[in-house]
Amino acid sequence: MNGKPFLDLGWIGDHLGLIWERFTQHLELTVVPVAVGFVVSLAIAIAILHRPRAYAVVIAVAGILYTIPSLAAFLLVSRFTGLSLLTAVIPLTTYTLLILVRGIVAGFRTVPEDVLEAATGMGYTARQRLLRVELPLAVPLIFTAIRLATVTTIGLATVAAILGDTYGGFGQFLTEGLQTFFPTKIYLGAGLSVAFAMTADLILVRVERRATPWARARAGAR
Amino acid sequence: MTAGHAATVEYEHVTKAYDAAALRTGAGAVNDLSLAIPAGKICVLVGPSGCGKTTSLKMVNRLIEPTSGRILLDGQDVAGRDQTELRRGIGYVIQQTGLFPHQTIEENVATVPRLLGWSAERQRSRAEELLATVGLDPAKYARRFPAQLSGGERQRVGVARALAADPPVMLMDEPFGAVDPIVRERLQNEFLRLQETLAKTILFVTHDIDEAIKIGDLVAVMQAGGIVAQFAPPAEILAHPASAFVARFVGTDRGLKRLSLFRVSSLDLQPATLAFLGEDAADVRRRAAADPLASALLVDAERRPIGWLVAAEMPRSGPIGPQHAASLSPLLDRRTTLKDAMSMLLGSDVQAGIVVDRHDAVRGLVTVGQISDWVRRSGDAVPAGDRVDAGGDEAATA
Repeated sequence: MNGKPFLDLGWIGDHLGLIWERFTQHLELTVVPVAVGFVVSLAIAIAILHRPRAYAVVIAVAGILYTIPSLAAFLLVSRFTGLSLLTAVIPLTTYTLLILVRGIVAGFRTVPEDVLEAATGMGYTARQRLLRVELPLAVPLIFTAIRLATVTTIGLATVAAILGDTYGGFGQFLTEGLQTFFPTKIYLGAGLSVAFAMTADLILVRVERRATPWARARAGAR
Repeated sequence: MTAGHAATVEYEHVTKAYDAAALRTGAGAVNDLSLAIPAGKICVLVGPSGCGKTTSLKMVNRLIEPTSGRILLDGQDVAGRDQTELRRGIGYVIQQTGLFPHQTIEENVATVPRLLGWSAERQRSRAEELLATVGLDPAKYARRFPAQLSGGERQRVGVARALAADPPVMLMDEPFGAVDPIVRERLQNEFLRLQETLAKTILFVTHDIDEAIKIGDLVAVMQAGGIVAQFAPPAEILAHPASAFVARFVGTDRGLKRLSLFRVSSLDLQPATLAFLGEDAADVRRRAAADPLASALLVDAERRPIGWLVAAEMPRSGPIGPQHAASLSPLLDRRTTLKDAMSMLLGSDVQAGIVVDRHDAVRGLVTVGQISDWVRRSGDAVPAGDRVDAGGDEAATA
C-alpha cells in the first residue's frame, strides 16, 4: 500500500475531534432505532401476547423486513426522506423489530402460571399485573433482546455512511478509507465500531444486573 | 395476633358446566353444589382429581364464574361485587405458592396491603408481624427473595401473604401438596395452631383424605362430576360413610384414622400401682401381685417414672432401687392422639402406656385393650373442643 503505515497514529492524533463527532453520530444511529424499536415492539408484543395467530403474522412480516439488504433499504427510504437522519433510522428501526418482538414475547412467556394466578387471585387488575408482575419478570429476556438488537444495530449503522458526513458515524471512516486507499481509516472505522458494540453490550449487562437482583438469588446465595 | 372477622360461605345450587373441549383439559365440572360453611370453621373439599374441588374453590373469588347458582359471603352474592375488591378481601394460597420471584419476602407478604394503598410503614410492620406469626424470623427473611427459601419456607410465606389484610375468608388450594411428608406434617400442625387464634373461615382443597381428616372441621367428599358424596365432620365420615364411594375413598383403615381424631384425654385413665424408691421389696411385691398387670411402676419422690417392677422378678426384701426395674413403656400425655398411643404401645413390652403430666409425674395408665374397647363403644363420639393439632407432634418430640 505505497508505504503507507498500517495505522497512522499521527493522523489519529490530529483528528480526535472528528473521531468524537463520528462517535456521537454512531451513538445517535444506534440509540434512536433501538429506543424507538423497543417502544414499538413492546406495544406490539403486549397486543399479540395472547393471540397466537397475530403473533405468527407479526413475526413473518418482521422476518421479511429483516431480510431486505440494508443498502437497498436505505436507498428505497431515501426516495421519500432524502439525505436525512430518518433515512437511516427507519430501516435500522425495522431491523430491530424481529429481535425485540420475539424477545419481549418470550420474556412474558417465562412468567410462571402460578405467579399469574396468584396475582389475579389476590386482586391485581389486568394492568397492574402487566406492569408490576409480568413486565419485571420478563426483564431478563427483554434485556437479552435489547443487547442483541443494539449490537446488530451498531454493525448495520456503518452502512449509514452513504448518508454522508452529517450522519455517517464510524461507517464514514470505512467508506472514505476504501475510496482513498487509506488503511488507517478502514481499521479505525472497523475497530471503533467493534469496540463500541462490545462496550455497549457490557454496559447493558451491568444495567440488567442492577435491575434484576432477584434473578441471581439462589438457595445457596444467602 | 388477634382474631379478626370471619365470614360465612354458602354455595346455593352452584353448577359449572364445561364443554367437551374444556373437560378434556382436566377442568372439573360442578353439579348443583350446596354447602353452608359456618364462620370460623375449616371446610375441606376432598376428592379424586377432576371431581371439581378446585373449580368449586375458584368460584368463590371468581377466578371461575359459575354457570348457575349463587355463592354468598356473609349472605352477600359474590357475583354482585367488584372482582378486584372481592379478591383483595379473600386470602388465596396455592400449591406452587405463586410468590413473586422479583420481590423480597417482605414485599410479597405486603402484596394486598400495597394494593389497598396502606402506608409503607404500615405495610412493613404488618409483613414483619406476619412473618413472625408463621415462624419466620423477619430479621433473617424479610430481605430475601423467594428463590433463596426452601419449599416449606415458601409455603409459610404464601400463608402469611394470604393473611396480610386480615381477610374474613381464606381459600387454600392444596397448600401443602408440594412439600415432603415431614415438612407437610409440620406445616399442617402450625397451620392448625394458627387457626386456633385466627378463627378464619377457610376453604381447603386437597386430594389427601388423611389431610382432610386432620385439618377439617367439616369435610366435603366430592366425586367425579362435581357431586358432594358426603358433607360432615371428619369423625362422622369415618364412623358412618354415606355411600360405598365414600367408604372406599376414606379407606379400609378408617377405624385407625378415627383414632387420630381423639386424644388420650378422651379415655378414663387406669390407676397405676406405684412403688417409691427405697420402699421395702416385700411390700411392693404384695401390691404388684394384686395388680392386673402383675407389675408396679417404680417412681421417684416426684412421682416421675423410673421403670417397671415385675412381681415375679423382685427381691424378697430390702429397699427397692432402679437396678430392679425393667425398662419403661411409652410415655404419653393427655394430648397424645390415640393413634400415636396405639402405635407406640404395639411396639413395647408392657402394653400399657404411662400417662404423665407436664412435670413428668405419673397420672395413670392406658392399655391397648382400653383403646380398642373405646373404638367399639364410641361409634358416634365427636372430638369436641379437643381438636387434634400439634399435640401429637409435641408429645413425640418432647
